[in-house]
Parts: sequence; C-alpha cells; structure tokens
Amino acid sequence: MKKLLVVLLVIFISAIVFTQSITFWHTQVETDRQQRIRALAQIFEAQTGIKVNLVPIEENEILEQIPRAVQAGTLPDVVEGGISPILLLGSQGFMDTELNAKIIEDFGDVYEGVSRLMRAPDGGYYGIPFHAWVQGIWYNKDLFEKRDLGAPTSWYNILTAAKALNDPANQFYGLVLPKKADAYTEQVFSQVALSNGAIPIDKDGNILFNTPEMIEAFRFYKELGKYSRPGFTGVPEALNAYLNNEAALVFYSTYIMDDIAVEEVQKQRVENFNPQLVENTGFANLMINVKPSSYGEVVGLGILNTSKNKDAAEQWVKFLMTGNNYIYWLHMAPGGMNPTRSSIAEMDEFLDNPVLERYGKDQITTIISALDTVERFEFVEGQIIEEMSVLSGNFVVGRAINRMFANDWTPQQTAQWAQEEAEKLLGK
Amino acid sequence: MTKYKELSSLKRKEAVFGWKLVSPAVILIGVFILYPVLYNIYLSFFEVSLTPGQSNKFVGLENYRRLLTDPTFWNSFGITLLFVAITVAGSILVGLGVALLMNKEFPGRGIVRALILFPYVAPVISTVFAWQYVLMPLNGPLTILLSNFGIMDITQDVVNNPNNAFLVVSFYSIWKNFPFIYLMILSRLQSISQDYYEAADIDGANGWQKFRHITLPELYYVLGSLVLLRGIWNFYKFEEVYLLSKEARTLPIYLYQTAFTGIPDLGVAAAIATVLFIVMMALITVYVKKVLKW
Repeated sequence: MKKLLVVLLVIFISAIVFTQSITFWHTQVETDRQQRIRALAQIFEAQTGIKVNLVPIEENEILEQIPRAVQAGTLPDVVEGGISPILLLGSQGFMDTELNAKIIEDFGDVYEGVSRLMRAPDGGYYGIPFHAWVQGIWYNKDLFEKRDLGAPTSWYNILTAAKALNDPANQFYGLVLPKKADAYTEQVFSQVALSNGAIPIDKDGNILFNTPEMIEAFRFYKELGKYSRPGFTGVPEALNAYLNNEAALVFYSTYIMDDIAVEEVQKQRVENFNPQLVENTGFANLMINVKPSSYGEVVGLGILNTSKNKDAAEQWVKFLMTGNNYIYWLHMAPGGMNPTRSSIAEMDEFLDNPVLERYGKDQITTIISALDTVERFEFVEGQIIEEMSVLSGNFVVGRAINRMFANDWTPQQTAQWAQEEAEKLLGK
Repeated sequence: MTKYKELSSLKRKEAVFGWKLVSPAVILIGVFILYPVLYNIYLSFFEVSLTPGQSNKFVGLENYRRLLTDPTFWNSFGITLLFVAITVAGSILVGLGVALLMNKEFPGRGIVRALILFPYVAPVISTVFAWQYVLMPLNGPLTILLSNFGIMDITQDVVNNPNNAFLVVSFYSIWKNFPFIYLMILSRLQSISQDYYEAADIDGANGWQKFRHITLPELYYVLGSLVLLRGIWNFYKFEEVYLLSKEARTLPIYLYQTAFTGIPDLGVAAAIATVLFIVMMALITVYVKKVLKW
C-alpha cells in the first residue's frame, strides 16, 4: 500500500514538474468569449499536454500591464493584441520576430495586406495577424432615403446628414461621436484625419499635429460634435445609442454586426429586438475628403522573446489559427473577427453562422478585402512609425479631442496642445 | 538609557529574549516595508530599462530635475492637495453631523445606523458603477433629478469632463468615506459623561454652547487622528479616483500613468513616489507635534 502511494506521489509530482505550461494574454474580456477561449485551451491541453494559463486584459490596459510584468518577470509567452501593443512590444525588443515570421511562412496563406502591418523594420514580423475588423459609419438607411440624403462617405454628406437628422427635442441625434480620452476616439479621428491627408508623424519622425490638414480635421470633428448625442461617449454608449434608435449614424467597427442582426445579442444590450434593423442599416466602409480612406484594426498573436517555451507557444498559435479551432474563435464575434488566412475565409464552415449568413458572402468578402487598403497612423508610405504607439499608449489624440470639447478649444488650440504633448512624450 | 554592557546577566538575558520575541516583526517590517521603500529610492536615481538583457543606467538626480520642472507634476500636486482638503473637511463635517444626529434616541435608530455604513462597506467597483450610472447624461436618474431642479444641464457628462471630474470624485470620496468618520465619532460621543451636560444645563447653557464647550473638546483628539488618517489615505488614494474617472489627474494617477502607460518611465515614477513620501513624512511630523501634541 505504501509503495503504491509513493508511486502515485512520484507520478503526481513529475506530472506537475514536467507538464509544460504557457501564459497567454488576450484582450477578449467578455464572459462568453472567455468561455470559448477556455474551451480551446482545454482541447489544446488534451491534445498536447500543454497547459495554457489564460490572462484576459482590457484592450486599453494592455500597454499598462507590460512594464509591470517586465519588472515582475511575468511576461506571457504569447500575447494577443491590436497593432499598438504589438508594435510597442516589438519596438522594445520583446518579440521573437524570426519565429513569428516562420509561422506566417508555414501557413503560407496569410493576407499580405494585413501582415505588412506587423512587419518589423529590420526583417521578420512583430506578430502574426490573427483576426481583423474594419471601421466605418453604420447608418439608418430608411432615414437617409426619406430625406434624400447621400450615403455618408464624403465629409459633406456626413455633416449634411448629421445636421438634417439631428432632433434633440425628441431625444434623437444626428450621430454618436466619441469624445473620451481613449482608443475609440483615436480610431474614429484617425479615419477623419487620414481622409484629409493628415498624419501625426511622418516617415522622418516629424510631428505634424499643427499642420493645416490636421487642424482642418479637428475642425470637422468639432463641427460634427454639434450634432452628436451629448456626453463624452465611449464604446458601449455608442452601441447602445444606435441600437436604441437614439442616433442616425454611428462610427463603429464590424463588431456591431451581431448586435444588429442577432436577437439574443441585441437583447443583451437593449430591451426590444428590432428585426428590421439589419435591413435598414447601411455601412460606409470608407470616408472621403481630399482622398478616400478606410480604417481597420488587425489583431495579432505575438510570441515573446522572453518565452521559455517557444515550441509550446508555436504549437498554441498554430492550433488557434487552424481549421475548426480558428473558426470557433472567429465565431465568438462574427463579423468583428475576420480571418487573416485566405483558406479559412473561403471555408463553408466559416460562413456557416447565423450572423454571417444574414450579411451574405459578398458583404463579408468586401469587408475582408477592405483590409488590404486599410490606412493607419502607424504606417506611412510602407514604413512603420513605431513612435506612434507611444502617442497611442498615452491617448494623445483622445485627450486632445476630450479637451477640445470640454474646454471649447478652437481646432488650432487643440492641434497646438497635441503637438506640444507629442513633442514632450517623444522628447523632441 | 542603560548600555547593554552595564546590564546584569539576568537583564541581558531578558534583553536578548525581548529581541528574539520582536525579531519576526522586525524581519517582516524590513522585508515588506523597508526594502521596497529603499529599493524605490534606489530606482529613482536610474533610467530603468524595460528591454530584456539591458541593465539600468545611473542618471543621478536627473529624474528629480525632470520631475520638478514638469508643470504637469505641479498641477497634479495642486489638485491632490485640493482633493485632500475637500475630502477630509467634507467627510469630517458630514460624519460629525450624522454622528450627532445618530447619538439621539429615536425609533428605528439601529437600522438607520446600520444603513449609514452602506457606502463604506460596499465594494468600490460597484459603487463607482452606480455613480457613473446615476450621473449619465440624458438618462442618468440623478442627472434627470438635478436637471428638473435646474441645478444642472441634462446634457452634461460630469463624470468624464476633465474640468470637473475632480469635483465629482471628491464628492464620491466624501460619500464613500464619511461612515468611517461617523463610526469613530459616534463611539467617542457615547463615552462622554452625561454629567457634563447636566452641569451645563444647570448653568443655563444652550445647545450650541454645550457643543462648543463640551462635545468639541471631548472630540478633539478623535477628530485630530481622523484628519491625520484620512489625510494620509486620501493623499495616496488611487482606486476610487481612477475607477470613477481617469480625468481627475491627482498625483497617484499621474504616478501610475508615468509608470505604466506608453513607454513607461519607472525611474521618474520612483522619483515621484519618493517626493510624495518625503512630503508626507514632513507634513505628518508637523501635524503630529502641533495638533496631536504627541
């Protein structure tokens, strides 16, 4: 009996000692999404014996967690995050650019348009593009048709529609515009600025917040604010306002697609389901002033240099981006999470989903193809502007806009403040 | 004080035994309090590297120079002092008022006393969400109520406005922390001898005179200690402020953002923490000597 106990104890201890485990940081903090990721980690552990420690972190807070983890020695093996955190980690030397490049090469079918956004300047990749979304204006088509308004793609059309449809007396507003000092505000403003040919940092590292194009973009944003739902809106308020029929237009990513189309999802947000909403909603995926611009975000997976279990990390990344596992992940936010591998995008199983079916293959293909033309402040003339991730991490654009509305600053004052803040942060 | 060498052998043994008894506490304090404080001071002289394999660079007093010439630091410092003044004075006034009321007999006093503790015992995160909800523009119940009375505009988003977020956070802090003050004052009030009041009644003193000449002097040291405690706590208050509104830029928030956002500057953050520590120690020393007369 004693011998048996000793044997069992040895097996138990060696199981603990020899079981490989990796830590995975991800930004999917919603409960239902976490459940899916937990399920995937369990399947992975059953197949490979590798345990995955899951750490969910808010998108806005991932940049703040990194230095803390560096000091505590608790950096993850693999991180899932948007372009800014991946670039910041990469530029600080945390990413294994070679291994990430090898995985992209092994897959062989990752879209070029999205992988260029993660390419390291000295060769290799800071991350592997995992999934992506496109941002644009979602709008009430019915109202537009009734008032004979053009689709909200040009600045002129957007402003005209917001003005015409704004009816605050009846608690209905032209649009919902983010004004909080956060990432959402920066995302929306990016598209406005890019469509006016304005960028905060050029490829020579010059800070360009006080250029006429940028000031013009702030002016347009402030003008839109006049017809916007009151409040320094963040993401949840914007979504709720559109679903509650409180606004005619909303800037939002393709993550809104399930909220618009699926009864159970919509009812989690608002009391009554509006079955007509999906038919009545239009999507403007580009914005034009001096040039057309579309905006999107690629979420990447990156293996860190500091990882002691790189083999296990590689297996986990490949597991997540293969076949049904990948589709299971993407379906946690259909429409919002689009595949970055062409073979997956073409699979019938990927389109076999109540949300994606409602939008149809054509629309989904259009969204995914838009990713090839996505523009970002972080990329100028094919070059990565790493310094932009410092400005994003400190929410310079968000804070500038927040102060512009709170203090009624002129566009010039706003631009000047952003210029000085950026110079201070970048030590210029 | 007698020197160790001059002690008798029995007294020496007693002294050694005494040290043995307190040594666990001394070690724990050393490891968990002294070491982090000293390490923080040490870090404040370095440019802390985040890149793996690259060591920290000694920069002398550069971090302090950068900090003390940064207007944002002084701005946050001013906001923090104002925050401490408003919240300490506010919570003590409210706590004192409520304690005086609750010291009087009335039916259902037990239940009311328990209910008053609610803000203090409820988790910060739930009360923060409740405040954000009631103060939402357009639909927030408190916003609607206040706008009906003409006190505020229904379209105002007071929580996220960088100009007044600090005031909202101050009101929240007073609301959240006055029950602690109330509890401390009430327990002291209950131990004041009724004889004083009876003697004052015989002398014909009115309510205000009794409060001024009996209650207040009896509460002096309790109030003095409460000002000290709440002052220290609120000077470093982070979670309540950060969760309710990131726009209230008090020093702990400034420190956090320096240490953990964008490309973090842990050396400067350590310098901020050291400056805070020195300022606080100086203030506490003066206060303890002058007000508490220890």
